Amino acid sequence: MKKIVLGIMAMATVVTLTSCRQLDVVGKTSASSFKQILDAVPSQVAADESENGWSLTAPDGSAKFIWSKDFNKSPIYDVMLEVDLKPFTNAGADVNKLPGGMVKDNKIVVGTSLGNESLSYDGEVTPIKSYEKIVEMKRDSVKYHAALDHFGVDLENGNMFEWAKDMGHNDKDIVFVLNPKVFIDAGVDPNKVEGWVFAKVETMDAKGKPIKVDKLLKPFNIK
Amino acid sequence: MNQETMKISGMTCAACAQRIQKVVGKLDGVANASVNIATEKLSVEYDTQKVSSADIKQAVVKIGYGVIEEAEAKEVTIPIGGMTCAACAQRIEKVLNKQDGVSKASVNLATEKATISYDPQKIKISALKQSIEKIGYKALEIEKKGAVDEDKIRKEKEIRTLWRKFTISAIFGTPLLYLAMGSMVWWLPFPIPKALNAMQFPLVYALVQILLTIPVIIAGYRFYTVGFKALIQRSPNMDSLIAIGTSAAIIYSLYSTYQIATGNFHAVEGLYFETAGVIITLILLGKSLEAVSKGKTSEAIKKLMGLAPKTAIVIQDGKEVETPIDEVEIGDVILVKPGEKIPVDGVVLEGNTTIDESMLTGESMPIDKKSGDQVYAASINKNGIIRFEAKKVGGDTALAQIIKLVEDAQSSKAPIAQMADIVSGYFVPIVCLIAVIAFAAWLISGQSLVFALTIFISVLVIACPCALGLATPTAIMVGTGKGAEHGILIKGGEALETAHKINTIVFDKTGTITEGKPEVTDITATSQTSKERLLQIAASGEKGSEHPLGEAIVRKAEKDQIEFLAVDQFEAIPGHGIEVTIDGVHTLIGNRKLMVERNISLEELEKESDRLAAEGKTPMYVAMDNQLSGIIAVADVVKQSSAKAIKKLQEMGIEVAMITGDNKKTAEAIAKQVGIDRVLAEVLPQDKANEVKKLQSEGKKVSMVGDGINDAPALVQADIGIAIGSGTDVAMESADIVLMRSDLMDVPTAIHLSKSTIRNIKQNLGWAFGYNIAGIPIAAGVLYLFGGPLLNPIFAAAAMSLSSVSVLTNALRLKRFKPYQSKNG
Repeated sequence: MKKIVLGIMAMATVVTLTSCRQLDVVGKTSASSFKQILDAVPSQVAADESENGWSLTAPDGSAKFIWSKDFNKSPIYDVMLEVDLKPFTNAGADVNKLPGGMVKDNKIVVGTSLGNESLSYDGEVTPIKSYEKIVEMKRDSVKYHAALDHFGVDLENGNMFEWAKDMGHNDKDIVFVLNPKVFIDAGVDPNKVEGWVFAKVETMDAKGKPIKVDKLLKPFNIK
Repeated sequence: MNQETMKISGMTCAACAQRIQKVVGKLDGVANASVNIATEKLSVEYDTQKVSSADIKQAVVKIGYGVIEEAEAKEVTIPIGGMTCAACAQRIEKVLNKQDGVSKASVNLATEKATISYDPQKIKISALKQSIEKIGYKALEIEKKGAVDEDKIRKEKEIRTLWRKFTISAIFGTPLLYLAMGSMVWWLPFPIPKALNAMQFPLVYALVQILLTIPVIIAGYRFYTVGFKALIQRSPNMDSLIAIGTSAAIIYSLYSTYQIATGNFHAVEGLYFETAGVIITLILLGKSLEAVSKGKTSEAIKKLMGLAPKTAIVIQDGKEVETPIDEVEIGDVILVKPGEKIPVDGVVLEGNTTIDESMLTGESMPIDKKSGDQVYAASINKNGIIRFEAKKVGGDTALAQIIKLVEDAQSSKAPIAQMADIVSGYFVPIVCLIAVIAFAAWLISGQSLVFALTIFISVLVIACPCALGLATPTAIMVGTGKGAEHGILIKGGEALETAHKINTIVFDKTGTITEGKPEVTDITATSQTSKERLLQIAASGEKGSEHPLGEAIVRKAEKDQIEFLAVDQFEAIPGHGIEVTIDGVHTLIGNRKLMVERNISLEELEKESDRLAAEGKTPMYVAMDNQLSGIIAVADVVKQSSAKAIKKLQEMGIEVAMITGDNKKTAEAIAKQVGIDRVLAEVLPQDKANEVKKLQSEGKKVSMVGDGINDAPALVQADIGIAIGSGTDVAMESADIVLMRSDLMDVPTAIHLSKSTIRNIKQNLGWAFGYNIAGIPIAAGVLYLFGGPLLNPIFAAAAMSLSSVSVLTNALRLKRFKPYQSKNG
């Protein structure tokens, strides 16, 4: 009997621990470091009315990370990347071979819908508050990438937006990450996409197995 | 000087034993202190004027160990009938407490039992029962816990506790390991929940590990309490190594957890809770297996203890009364029916039977018993009903003596153990030093703190003083126990060790090589007398003689119904014969030496004497009034097993000699029959020891095998004295090894057992030393230095646990030892 009680208590404690937000140091730190990024480039942060969200534009204007103010009102995706199409077509992309809806007004759009919930805020809606809603409600989409000491938002299908946990100790403050497969299938030579780096990145698969995957990266040092 | 043996609890390794030995040995008044880790006993010799038993016990307790009181006072539970209320219980309690010798009595009305602590020297259970019955209550049959049961219960409890602790630590340690090894076990079918992903939820991951570690630490708390206490007192032991190693892992992990909480997520790689948890789990597993194996090493003695029956049928006022064995007293007449065990030692009064004494002697053939024959406790009455008188009870029975002898032997230390003792005394501090040096060296060489810490923990955890400590005593326990099972009682570790070095064995002839019951074969009289007269004079002179040759002459006269004459004067001349005056006739009866010394001419019967001697017969010369009157030849029968045993010994490369007081020719004839080349004949009893000494001076390791009082000095002088069980008490007391049977095949078996045990000890020591010598440098990163792998502390802990278990398993292999058989082996 004692053993059963002990086991139940241990299980209950584990469940309590796992559901305690205060213990989610990755989520909390990701928000504070994302705020640092936004604060470092205030001119590149803006409301994106068409997507009913916020956007962080790359210093060269070639890419954007957009995140929703309200999941219920996002027209396409709740989190997404919007990058210039031209470097891809220059590298051989046959636009017709890219998945439907991926190309929009000379831009490539990749992203994912996080949900349909209406988000309510205490006080004024700010870019960081909207991000904190993602952490709070869609924690699984927020990742920590130990190899680069980056946080990131998972856009699914191998696409990510990442930023440095500590800008002071990282030369890649923000990174736009695309899965090259769809582009290669559409005829792109990944090594010839201007402004993008084709590289192998160390990560883990769904089971936690360490793997290396091909990625197209667009890193920026924004300090 | 007082000698005392105390049962010690809480020892985990040889360093513990060393520590107790050191602390007790330093007490003023203690002459000698020795701790045997396998039997968990402290043997101490001390001056009662300077130090008391309580002081010694206090010193042991002070350093963190326990002394298990083996109370002089016994405890007995007597069920009581007839109690109706609390007042009854109080009354009985009061009466019992008033009895002289009762230290404490308490009566429980609910259970209707009286529990009494009493001094058996002062009061008997029967008297306690009487006092209860006297006041009107019924004392029912007692429930008594024997020492065997208590020891068994204690050991079983210890094993149960260890298994429970191991189970708890395994229940929590397994998920802890699984969680920690998550990234390495991705191929397993049970994925780690997302909420416990080390990279995404590092703080939760760390806290859950802490939660899982806490029960494991609680299960292994003894390692910390004892280990750190020993460390503070500057006598670190195995527990100290585990405590330091796992504490280092835990403290560093707690620091890493703090780092994670403050945002350093890479610190998740510095979590070593699973190392600490799994180390403790594995050590507990090792300790549990060790406790089980240790229990098996003393199975032989438990088997012996279990042989004694619990009750006896005592004839009281003509009635058969079933009486608990502890209440049987000397002089009681006991009835034993077919198939029952003999309860105590005694002498048969009535009845004939055959008794199986194999459990005591190893002799498989039942022995015929009739009135006047001795019977021994624990032997089995095969077919007849006998009544016998109890002569020895309780601790005085042959069985109890054998148990004591085996227990003492198992507690003793062999010289080979000294090296292990010395090493284990310095072992733990040296390991700590190596761990610190390795830690510092790797840190200085530029490796990370985590790397150096891994090395530090591995070195501490892989070092195993337990294996060193267990190597010798466990083998001795199994070896001596196995010997006892086959009727070979080895009196100590030293005897066991020395026996394997024996290269020369000297056998006494009469009673050892031969049956020792010689018979008269030839009577030759001179012209001055007749054969009948010669036998009458000789038998009258030898009447009452304890010498086997004299006894043979007396038996012959009795058989021929010859009247014995009164002896006026009698003088025994040791080694020569006797000098008597019978009917006014001065008579000398003895060997050639006696006659030569007294200038008796042997010329007349010289040829006859030579013939008899050549046939292996012993001529006993009889001279009346200084004139040779005749020869009575006596011949002894060679034991069936003698020739085979001697051949076996020679095959083992052992030189065999025979020693006897008999004349050379007789001796040589017997020697020839059994295949002995070297004969030491006509040796006086007092010279037997000198002959042994002479052989020793040739650089030989000599064993003497004998049975008589006259052999005792030689048995003592020999490197190993072996007494035949059928022999005298003096011989058995003088010997290092006692053979319960008269079968000489037990001599090569004893030496074979010694060789097997010593080989086993050497294997154990080789394994224990080899393991530590190889394991510690590997743990310190020597292989890594040359491009090899780095040892994970978890594997170090597993190896450490396995080392003790493997030593014990190897010792237990001795249980498969097979003795040489005199019939078909």
